[in-house]
Amino acid sequence: MSAVLQNLVNQPYKHGFVTEIESDIAPKGLNEEIIRLISSKKNEPEWMLTFRLQAYEKWLSMSEPRWQNVKYPKIDFQSISYYSAPKPKKKLASMDEVDPELLRTFEKLGVPMHERAALAGVAVDVIFDSVSVATTYKEKLAEVGIIFCSISEAVQTHPELVKKYLGTVVPVGDNFYAALNSAVFTDGSFCFIPKGVKCPMDLSTYFRINTEESGQFERTLIIAEEGASVSYLEGCTAPRFDTNQLHAAVVELIALDNAEIKYSTVQNWYAGDEKGIGGIYNFVTKRGLAKGANSRISWTQVETGSAITWKYPSCILRGENSVGEFYSVAVTNNYQQADTGTKMIHIGRNTRSTIISKSISAGHSNSSYRGLVRISPTAENARNYSQCDSMLIGNQCSANTFPYIQVNNNSAKVEHEASTSKIGEDQLFYFLQRGIDTEEAVSMIINGFCKEVFQQLPMEFAVEATKLLSFKLEGSVG
Amino acid sequence: MSTATSHSYLDHLVQSWQKPSTSSWLDQLRANAMDSAGALRMPTTQDEEWRFTDISPLSRLPYPVAQSTFKVQLSDIEHYYLEEASCRLVFVDGQFAPELSNIAHNAGAIIGNLSSLLPTHGDTIARYLGQLAEFENDVFTALNTAFLRDSACIIIPANKSVTTPIHLLFISRQTEVTSYPRCLLIAEAGSHATIIEDYITTEEASYVTNSIVEMNLADSAHINHIRVQRDNQQAFHIGNCTVSLAHASQYHSVSITLGAYISRYNLNVILSGEGAECAADGLVLISERQLADTHTFIDHAQPHGKSRQLHKCIVDSMAHGVFNGKIMVRPHAQLTDSAQLSRNLLLTNKARIDTKPQLEIFADDVKCAHGATVGQLDKEEIFYLKSRGLSDLTARNLLTYAFGGEVIDRIPISSLKRQLEEIVLARTQIS
Repeated sequence: MSAVLQNLVNQPYKHGFVTEIESDIAPKGLNEEIIRLISSKKNEPEWMLTFRLQAYEKWLSMSEPRWQNVKYPKIDFQSISYYSAPKPKKKLASMDEVDPELLRTFEKLGVPMHERAALAGVAVDVIFDSVSVATTYKEKLAEVGIIFCSISEAVQTHPELVKKYLGTVVPVGDNFYAALNSAVFTDGSFCFIPKGVKCPMDLSTYFRINTEESGQFERTLIIAEEGASVSYLEGCTAPRFDTNQLHAAVVELIALDNAEIKYSTVQNWYAGDEKGIGGIYNFVTKRGLAKGANSRISWTQVETGSAITWKYPSCILRGENSVGEFYSVAVTNNYQQADTGTKMIHIGRNTRSTIISKSISAGHSNSSYRGLVRISPTAENARNYSQCDSMLIGNQCSANTFPYIQVNNNSAKVEHEASTSKIGEDQLFYFLQRGIDTEEAVSMIINGFCKEVFQQLPMEFAVEATKLLSFKLEGSVG
Repeated sequence: MSTATSHSYLDHLVQSWQKPSTSSWLDQLRANAMDSAGALRMPTTQDEEWRFTDISPLSRLPYPVAQSTFKVQLSDIEHYYLEEASCRLVFVDGQFAPELSNIAHNAGAIIGNLSSLLPTHGDTIARYLGQLAEFENDVFTALNTAFLRDSACIIIPANKSVTTPIHLLFISRQTEVTSYPRCLLIAEAGSHATIIEDYITTEEASYVTNSIVEMNLADSAHINHIRVQRDNQQAFHIGNCTVSLAHASQYHSVSITLGAYISRYNLNVILSGEGAECAADGLVLISERQLADTHTFIDHAQPHGKSRQLHKCIVDSMAHGVFNGKIMVRPHAQLTDSAQLSRNLLLTNKARIDTKPQLEIFADDVKCAHGATVGQLDKEEIFYLKSRGLSDLTARNLLTYAFGGEVIDRIPISSLKRQLEEIVLARTQIS
């Protein structure tokens, strides 16, 4: 491993700054009163409060999971503030009305919202510390009957839809962090694609964690009715902080007959400094239910940030002929830890799933793939193909693979392959000999390694991801 | 359920244990093991290592330790003898049976049971016995060590090559008891031998076999290890084998699992010297309500190690196969080359497989790959054979047999290979 690469990896986090906006912060700690406070602040109906309280009750009876292959100090759930919102100004109709301070923040992050919106046709639902500030293109989407808004707005305007689907894929007591999220979530996105509608543009949200020590609990719910299709993008950057921040989001996807949902994530939150101090804890529950026949759910993720990433975007393939896909690139450096993978639960007949997972570990980091492929007795002719490749850069890091394969039906066909490799001296030599310097060579090798996943990303994300990876690993190989 | 009833198997055994009268190293070892056994509990499916293997049926059985009074008729077991193996150690319910054994033609190796070798080789045995099989965290290892009365002991002197295989025949003769077979192998530098570990029974009712094998391979030693488990379908079989490989030593093993109602085989191989090599193959062939669980752990602790593993399961009727293959590459074990493949064939729609090939890698300059497949017979292959004039049934039988045959083929002893081929053939033919 060369010094050049070391230097390249050790680039400081480019998105570390705090925007000074007056925040409305709830006192630290979690109890029933705080939940009632969140609910009343958001002017929620009674059933929503009941949902939260049920989740809270479950959460109290659960204990923090310890089976994962990551290490972190015990989280004090009573020292977190569970609600923080920018002070409401006035309802905004256009981008011009947005707080200029906020706009400058996005500018620094390289998110030219209006420009991007106009050029790429992306409607961006901006989440700034839990509250949706501005939603663009809403009207255009409304024309075809698509509802795309913040979940708190959806609770007000479409309570029947939220009530019908919320918590059906990830029940309130599903796991410790999902229960916590269900009890205290403040905002998130809601998306409903009605019968037969193909969403005319990629939908997108940007998450930012702003107020220091405010854990962010996002809740996303996407429903695609019969024959509908949608591609949803989630991109993340967070400012630099030295205290660890907890992020426990829940994402639920529901696809009915012939529907298609594609969910893409690029995650680049603050990963802590080179000594492993600070950084975000990203403990997320993401699950899609392919409920109808011929439905399809596809997860694509590029995980480069967070001190700890711990998530398993999963697919429950209930409908006949339904398809589940998982494409992932996880990059860890310094003292980052990632325990990520997927679950493919085959229930319906002729269900198919594909898993492509690439992990790159450098520095002192630790990366694990943990996956489950379960073929239920009812899943006749189910088919799964999994491939997990790991690349190690340096001898202080580690890569682990924990694939669980459970087959209860003899007509199923399940294949799993995994390999581990490194960037070889001879590979680098080959590039150098052709006049390509080490830095570029490494970037090319890594991009080649991750190509199968990047191909699944929407265009602008693919560009971003390629760049991210190169500066993330700059200096770590050689 | 109260803990008293759920753990009565363990409680019963712990209570029946008698404190040894002497303070010899062996009795001290037993006493330490019993302390561990007393502090441990029976594993449940809540334990990650036993997640798919529910041994609660065993937990309820108050099977005492087997007594040593039972005799076996030569005619009952003669057909298990192997013509190549001139050297044979027979144990009945864990106790040495000298009248059935033959250790005359030992080709220079030191072979015998524990009590016969203690006077002459006590120091060597004391140095190795119970060292690899750690009992602190494993209740079955702790029980075996606590009730250690006899053991097969094999010492292959340095640079000695034992050309004929050494056959260890463990017979279960009593029912509703627990027996504790044990084997200690010390292969000195540059030695070479083939060991066959064979579990059979003459009975048709339930019993428990809890076996431990410890193999120590010194520099450049080369050991072939064939393990055959053919208990009856009511039996419980828990087997533990730990192998330590020194510099440039080679360990090749083939494990065949055919019997037992619930069986578990743990194979731990530690490549503790540079350039060690390990091949661990397995075939599990089960039917009815059998459950066979194989856990292997190949630990690359030093550089330049090489490991190969092919594990196959053929699961018929309502049987359940479990495989967990963990490969660890420690931080300094650079240039490790490791490959593992788990292949599984489900013959009916009630059969079940849980497989988990697992890699944990802490070194960057390594080559590690693993794969797993679960499925049924390939339609293309069946079609090919049918196009050559075979009936559908014959084609299926042939392919099933060939699936298992690949592992049997790796056994270097032709008479044993023939025996097993016949069993696999008989078990895989549906008419």
